[in-house]
Amino acid sequence: MSLSVLLSKYGSLYLQAMLTTWRLTAISFAGAMVIGLVITVIRVCPIVPLRYFGDIYVQIFRNIPGAAMLILLVYALPYLNMNFSYEACVLISTIMIPSAFCSEHLMSGMNTIPVGQIEAARALGFSFLQMIFRIVIPQALRSCVLPLTNLLVATMLTTSLASQVPMRPRELTAIVSYINTRDVGGVLAFAISAVLYCLTALVLGQLGGWIDRRVRILR
Amino acid sequence: MKKTGIRDILYEPPGPKARRRIRVVTALALILLAGLLWLIIRQFSLTGQLDARYWSFFGRATTWRFLGEGLLSTVEAALTGALIAFAAGFILMRGRLNRYAPVRFLSMAIIEFTRGVPTLLFIYFFFLVVPQMGLGLSAFWKITLPCAISACGVVAEALRSGVNAVPKGQREAALSLGYGEIRLFYQILFPQAIRFVIPSLISELVIVLKDTTFASVVSYADLMQNAKVLISNYDAMLSVYLVVAVIYILINFLLNQLSEYLAQRTKRSAAEGRQA
Repeated sequence: MSLSVLLSKYGSLYLQAMLTTWRLTAISFAGAMVIGLVITVIRVCPIVPLRYFGDIYVQIFRNIPGAAMLILLVYALPYLNMNFSYEACVLISTIMIPSAFCSEHLMSGMNTIPVGQIEAARALGFSFLQMIFRIVIPQALRSCVLPLTNLLVATMLTTSLASQVPMRPRELTAIVSYINTRDVGGVLAFAISAVLYCLTALVLGQLGGWIDRRVRILR
Repeated sequence: MKKTGIRDILYEPPGPKARRRIRVVTALALILLAGLLWLIIRQFSLTGQLDARYWSFFGRATTWRFLGEGLLSTVEAALTGALIAFAAGFILMRGRLNRYAPVRFLSMAIIEFTRGVPTLLFIYFFFLVVPQMGLGLSAFWKITLPCAISACGVVAEALRSGVNAVPKGQREAALSLGYGEIRLFYQILFPQAIRFVIPSLISELVIVLKDTTFASVVSYADLMQNAKVLISNYDAMLSVYLVVAVIYILINFLLNQLSEYLAQRTKRSAAEGRQA
């Protein structure tokens, strides 16, 4: 199948698939950042049981394979009378798994903060939460822009999980298997999706590098 | 749990007021977490998922032998994939550090490509497109090769950062002793570089292991597939998938702990080396 035939027949589907991948990625990453932040605050707070909860959360979700988690959500949870739509199951997986990695990055970002910053905040009478949200988190975020950019790309790649369930509209991975079951799409059908993924990753990487150069704290 | 620097410096020893507050909030947190656990267990028992018939077969040796066989296939695929990824990553790294610009550029393009495309897309490529090209691969290779391809770019970059981390004096000393480029690389740079990157190579093994869970796409009998057979035998979806997920989590957790331990050891011995 030639490129022009493929594009004229499936071009709009590819466009829709790309937008779906972008949408899933944006929602997942935003969710992962919020949950990752909350879990990180929990992991450094003085309440010991909460710390353990945060640590266990991170260990579970950074070690569970995406496929195993999605299958649990889609096929096993209904046995507990909990039914979610396919899209919700995909999003829960693609939020919670990256959120664990997000928390790990933030923790190592925090470790780059000099002790003097904390001591100064304490001397000025900051409370724990004030210190976390005004001093620690902003600096941690600024020093882990590059790892978080890599996480964003990884999150995009994780959204290909959606091809494992009959979710509509299809995203960039599902579209390839769809075309190949109806037509002989060949290498080209695969290459279009691959190029779209790569271009997105490239743009995100450049953007991350640019932000990093602007906000990175030189120590 | 691991101790992180920031946790120890964030607060000084609390005074009597703060201690009381911490105790109250700790109690509240415990009640909250216990409540959450109770809700989960209640949901299990309300829906009958705690019934003996869903769990008793885990007491049988055959169940574990069957899961063990699946796990063995998973490990086999993951290790093979990781080895191929290491070999390919090594070649790509050599290309990335090559003196000829076109070779460097080509290696870089391949590395970026494999890093920017999801493993599942590679799996679908081997599942759908490769047979169209008239190449009959077994299920084992249909899962192993895509996992290896999607890992090799990351491996190449890890190896490269290891080579770059070897102190410059090593290279200069070797050159002044009359080492050629090839001997310099294989006898001086690479043996030192590999020590730096073993932790990140183990982390990559974890990623390959996770990727092999997509084996069901190409119907390779890994742990996940064998779990499906158990499910249809005992009609126990939730319990089997939960146990399988826990197995995966435990293996990956242990591998990550190993990687962290080795990273700490390398860092320590490097620090001692500088002092000596």
